[in-house]
Amino acid sequence: MEKIYKSVIESLIFASDEPIGASEIVRAIKEIDGDDIDVTNKDVEETVDYLNNCYEENDRAFRILRIANGFTFGTKPEYAKYIGYLSSEKSRRRLSQAALETLAIIAYKQPITKPEIETIRGVNSDYIINSLLEKNLIAIKGRAETIGRPLLYGTTDEFLMYFGLNKIADLPKPREIEEIMTDSDFIEQKRKIMMNEIEEELEDNTSTEENGFDTSE
Amino acid sequence: MYKVKLNTFEGPLDLLLFFIKRDELDIYDIPISKITKEFMEYLHLIEQLDLEIAGDFLLMAATLMQIKVRMLLPKEVDEKGEEIDPRADLVKALLEYKRYKEMAEEFSVMEYNQRKINFRGNFSADQKEAPEEISALLKNITVFDLIKAFQKALMERPKEIVHEVKKFNITIDEQIEFIMDFVEKSNYVHFLDLIRNMHEKIRIVVTFIALLELVKMNRIGINTSEKLNDFVIYKLNDGKDL
Repeated sequence: MEKIYKSVIESLIFASDEPIGASEIVRAIKEIDGDDIDVTNKDVEETVDYLNNCYEENDRAFRILRIANGFTFGTKPEYAKYIGYLSSEKSRRRLSQAALETLAIIAYKQPITKPEIETIRGVNSDYIINSLLEKNLIAIKGRAETIGRPLLYGTTDEFLMYFGLNKIADLPKPREIEEIMTDSDFIEQKRKIMMNEIEEELEDNTSTEENGFDTSE
Repeated sequence: MYKVKLNTFEGPLDLLLFFIKRDELDIYDIPISKITKEFMEYLHLIEQLDLEIAGDFLLMAATLMQIKVRMLLPKEVDEKGEEIDPRADLVKALLEYKRYKEMAEEFSVMEYNQRKINFRGNFSADQKEAPEEISALLKNITVFDLIKAFQKALMERPKEIVHEVKKFNITIDEQIEFIMDFVEKSNYVHFLDLIRNMHEKIRIVVTFIALLELVKMNRIGINTSEKLNDFVIYKLNDGKDL
């Protein structure tokens, strides 16, 4: 691959509103410079690593991230509070416990119907599902072949972006029931430690994060 | 009564898990009668607060009681001859739910970390006008403030005033005739006697108006009575005393 394409790839990722996939980058280059140009998906991947190294060496504030099956620029976490100062309350609002719970069920069991979600949660989930649909974190993926042909829900690319995932397979593995059986207390402890750390961190950032991190159940 | 702190629970399973965790119960050996009691107490508390109990909680209450009853009955056995624990389905549901509840916590951590990373075009979704005032208003509002406000709104809602219009089949003309009948017969009549058998206020009023009308027409005369608060009505012939 010619050196110039490193910059072309960088410009495409920079200009794209949404995460742009490697194949899309290759297609754009071939469309302009011809099919015989020697640029592959692997070249794109390597270029991204090369660029990220450059940014790292020069102490740049951003990186190219692999998110939602594509590449996108993102700032480093340490500058979050300054950027947060500029953004409105709305973009700082976090998902509720109910929303996270429902998202988790959908993420692991997709495609899944509303009755199936409600069976697991033990509670009516109309409102939550609607608000997740509105936030574009889930989408209707079709209809089940069962009685009544209920709608099937699944996660979206926005979901992947929201949680910083490249693909669904990158989700942490849920514990098997047998496992919870053996060490539920251990996990509970681990979680508490994790939450405490976050809370402490948050207290340091309270000047920008007014909306508080809610650890209550 | 046992006081339960009213946390927000995502549903009956969440509430049960809370009891299990708080009292360090063994999820595989849930003391059904204890937990049913606590569950019902929680429902009563919700009821006292005048909140509508969600159907999901009622369903769980029924399920718990059914399990409680089955625990008292002779043990059922499955095809392998093993005893069936009536609590098995509930335990399975609780564990399944717990599993995703845990994942929700993992998600929460991921969310927290990811929110520190800002993408390009990050601000395009931002509202241009500052919603400052609204967010200030919404601060520190709890569900109880909402209930209070709602009840206040219900109480203070303007009362609907219903004016009932009843039609009486009494006319002044009729009462004129009625009065004249009296005076024709006996030349005079006491007012109190005239209205003695009248039950409706309106009839008395109309009669009184008829009386005034007759006085105006010079067909009757009115004189004081020996009785207090009464007067005598007597007949006039062409405006002259008899």
